[in-house]
Amino acid sequence: MYLNYLANVGRYIPELLLVVLMIGIIILETTYAEDEKNKKYVFILTCVGLVATFASLVANMSGKAEAIFSNSMIIDPFSTVMKMVMVLGTLGAVYLSTISKDIYESLKTEFIIMAIGVLIGGMILASANNMLMLYLGIETLSIISYVMASLKKNDERSSEAGLKYALFGGVSSGIMLFGMSHMFGVLGTIQFSGMAANIAKLDHTQMLIMMPSFVLFFAGIGYKIAAVPFHMWSPDVYEGSPTPVTTFFAIVPKLAGISALIRVTMIFFLTPSALRVGWVGLMMIMAALTMTVGNVTAIGQKSVKRMLAYSSISHAGIMIAGLVMINDIGVRAVVFYGITYLFMTLVAFYVTSIVQDKYGNDHFERFQGLIYRYPFMGIVMSVVMFSLTGLPPLAGFVAKFNILNALINSKYYSLAIILALNSVISAFYYLKIVRLMTLKTQESNEEIEGFGFLNQVIIIVMTAPVLILGIFWDSIMGLAEGAKIFIK
Amino acid sequence: MSIYYYLSAFLFCLGLLGSIFKKDLISILLCLELMMSGVAVLFVLFSKSTGFLDSQLMVIFMMIISACEVAIGLSLIIALYRKKQTIYTDDIKIITE
Repeated sequence: MYLNYLANVGRYIPELLLVVLMIGIIILETTYAEDEKNKKYVFILTCVGLVATFASLVANMSGKAEAIFSNSMIIDPFSTVMKMVMVLGTLGAVYLSTISKDIYESLKTEFIIMAIGVLIGGMILASANNMLMLYLGIETLSIISYVMASLKKNDERSSEAGLKYALFGGVSSGIMLFGMSHMFGVLGTIQFSGMAANIAKLDHTQMLIMMPSFVLFFAGIGYKIAAVPFHMWSPDVYEGSPTPVTTFFAIVPKLAGISALIRVTMIFFLTPSALRVGWVGLMMIMAALTMTVGNVTAIGQKSVKRMLAYSSISHAGIMIAGLVMINDIGVRAVVFYGITYLFMTLVAFYVTSIVQDKYGNDHFERFQGLIYRYPFMGIVMSVVMFSLTGLPPLAGFVAKFNILNALINSKYYSLAIILALNSVISAFYYLKIVRLMTLKTQESNEEIEGFGFLNQVIIIVMTAPVLILGIFWDSIMGLAEGAKIFIK
Repeated sequence: MSIYYYLSAFLFCLGLLGSIFKKDLISILLCLELMMSGVAVLFVLFSKSTGFLDSQLMVIFMMIISACEVAIGLSLIIALYRKKQTIYTDDIKIITE
């Protein structure tokens, strides 16, 4: 019986590959640190490793869904799809880190090592099937993130960002554990499925204990995905950290948190109970607040990076809105949203990062007349901004439409109206960049080194899905449709 | 519920309030630890009352992870102290609107 662990290792190859890759890079870095030329071997090794991980995840898709390691983790299509998105996000952030000037030359390998560490944490979180693995996933994700945020050692803003992140993280994980302990005290197990089964048997008093416990439990996950009112750290951390780190934070921890939230919601609240009503109410309030606060605050920002931070808060709100109805249509919509969000965010951050490297800051004015100097980059940035707003025929529209569709299907009209209104608000600040890029004259004729031929090609390739998924979304929607959650 | 429940709730609230209202970073870290130990007492208590050992497993992992967290937190405080020569939160407000 105890050998079951070994039998399950086959399904766990992606994570193991990443662990080996992380250790390999550490060894390579300590061996070759002296020679600048060897930096590119580290990058090549990382790319090969991440692509291999992606390939093994694809191979994992075809196997049947099962629970591994004494039912503590679940490998199902849903977690595999989310992991694939996270791996792609890491790959994008790693490439950005090699071209960015925001990270010191000597620390570029460290960034890669820590990014892979966070990715492992995200993968644990995406397939966690009990409280312990959920907690371990969140902490693996967080503890390395604290260091990543303060990667710019000589910049006190970066140090402050890291420290803020660490203190907020410590408090919120403490609160989450307090909620978890009460949940264990009432339900008597830490397995999600066992807990869900016990919820049906609760009496009135126990129900009264469970409701605040779930709210406390949500604090831990809500902090990771920066849901209002746990979002206060997010703009400061996003602004203080180097841009590649911000890119990474906007994608991997957020999607990992969302996938944990989806799993928790789908396991605990499939059957009707008083708790389900409370949880749906909580999700609705959180979604509405997160969208509105994120969008309204983004309007007044001067820095594009900070604006993107607030916009990512509002996107998290939209993804939470997809969880309100607790059915497969909602999960499909959220998974599809995650996939489009990955490409849109990557492109927006790439262009911002390269412009910021040139001028030293990322205020809106730096984008003036970009389309005249670099027509492709101007067009790509406009496309992404239109897509983030949610205009057809781009991917952002399809993603938002799916969530709206799911909301209206289940008769959550108020939330659907709030979501639609928020799209209108977000148009203001997204289209501000498009206006500055196209209608204003340029400040100077200086060349921006970052927009070399290779980088332009890479950015255009990353934009292609945004365009393609707006029209030919069948196959990816099929992938999201197939991302079923396995409960055991 | 036994007296230990009140003990753990007291420790947790003390830690939470301390981490919110304290002004120096070292105290905040200590309060975080206090919060964690409050939760640990609660987990052990529930393990005793429900008769399942799962939660004692969580306590062991919690202790390891909170040690890591404090190590990272301390190193970040030192990194900031090198530049600002202070550990008081009021003096460290560089990122603003």
